[in-house]
Amino acid sequence: MDMTGEHWINAPRQAVWLALNDPEVLKQSIAGCEALDKTSDTEFQAQVTAKVGPVKAKFSGKVTLSELDPPNGYTITGEGSGGAAGFAKGGAKVRLEEAENSGTLLKYEVHAQIGGKLAQIGSRLVDGAARKMADEFFSAFATAVEARSGAAPTASAAEAPMAPAAVPPVEAAGTGSKGLPPLVWIGGLIVIAAAVVWWVTR
Amino acid sequence: MHNFAFHRPTSVADAAKAIGAASDGKFVAGGQTLLPTLRQRLAEPSDMIDLSAIAELKGIKVEGDGITIGAATTHTEVANSADVKKTIPALAHLASLIGDHQVRQRGTIGGSIANNDPAADYPAAVLGLGATIRTNKREIKADDFFKGMFETDLAEGEIITAVHFPKPEKAGYEKFRQPASRFALVGVFVAKTGGGIRVAVTGAGPGVFRSKELEAALGGNFTADAAKGVKISANGLNGDLHGSPEYRASLVSTLAARATAAAS
Repeated sequence: MDMTGEHWINAPRQAVWLALNDPEVLKQSIAGCEALDKTSDTEFQAQVTAKVGPVKAKFSGKVTLSELDPPNGYTITGEGSGGAAGFAKGGAKVRLEEAENSGTLLKYEVHAQIGGKLAQIGSRLVDGAARKMADEFFSAFATAVEARSGAAPTASAAEAPMAPAAVPPVEAAGTGSKGLPPLVWIGGLIVIAAAVVWWVTR
Repeated sequence: MHNFAFHRPTSVADAAKAIGAASDGKFVAGGQTLLPTLRQRLAEPSDMIDLSAIAELKGIKVEGDGITIGAATTHTEVANSADVKKTIPALAHLASLIGDHQVRQRGTIGGSIANNDPAADYPAAVLGLGATIRTNKREIKADDFFKGMFETDLAEGEIITAVHFPKPEKAGYEKFRQPASRFALVGVFVAKTGGGIRVAVTGAGPGVFRSKELEAALGGNFTADAAKGVKISANGLNGDLHGSPEYRASLVSTLAARATAAAS
């Protein structure tokens, strides 16, 4: 099963990149993820309860990051075993591109395989379920990143009237502080402010 | 199958109480999807609450300008009901096409729509006729009920008690069966109602949906030819070894044409 897609995220690429490497953000973005622990710089141990219709199976698996190319992207591969339910494995190549309004375009290419009983009874539904899970993951991820990097709306506000959905800068700083460590987002804010100043005065 | 505690309440109120007390409870109506899942150990609820002994969930009655079917009514009962055949023949026809004889003897309308399998037949009739879903808490319009693959507007622990179908001027249902599972590879329900034309498609996408293109075409001219001429986009439709998205797209207009021709 192969699938590709893209999501526009209202946050600068660096913030998106940091979030892609943050177990807490990843955990929030995976539906049914009960635990995601970093076991090394590029490896995570995950516990996920997958729920599709009547099926509810607990998977435990290993997630590995490879081909790291900050902040352009990486390859994320996972392998999980659901006991009696079967197994699932797959990978996604994730690319980050700078996009309009200081946003980031996240592109992904997913390859997934399932086996065991899950594949036997599930084959009629696998594609739809996988597409739905990927969609949910990337939209939850985009929301989490946008909440954390309050800096983005400020940057776009400088070049265009603020969109109704944009978070006011003050509030944004508040949400940013409980997400990324203050030094990171303050640093990011300074870089972005500098970039905006450069952009409007050039 | 894993162990679970089994409950067989005789009222909706007791069923709601039982699910509230369970740590990970599950309702079972006809069990035609849930039991195979349990046998494969793909789910392990702590408690099973059987809805089949609740008399208030059963039966078919003519009500106002339509027909009301209790949630625990089986497909066979709907298919054979003189009232359904007389009021909405397309609905009896649809029920007679579900699964096989055994499935129709056990499976229920409430179970089917609560499960909302993307290829199930009943969601097409419920959406196509603009039915109202009654629960132990409220009434939900069909247009607000189905939320995509296996998802509905039902809250945790909410129980469907009945489905009310308004009588259409004309309606028809045609399905292209997946021969092994008997699920709809694609199924199309067309209805000419007081509120306009409604066309609901099952099996083709991630969940039942209305086809605006077909509704527009049939709105001007309720004929098989009008439906046949509609080009459906394959974008977002299901593809698997039984049929590509393009094949399903083509089936949608073909079946809509047949359903329109058969509408009565």
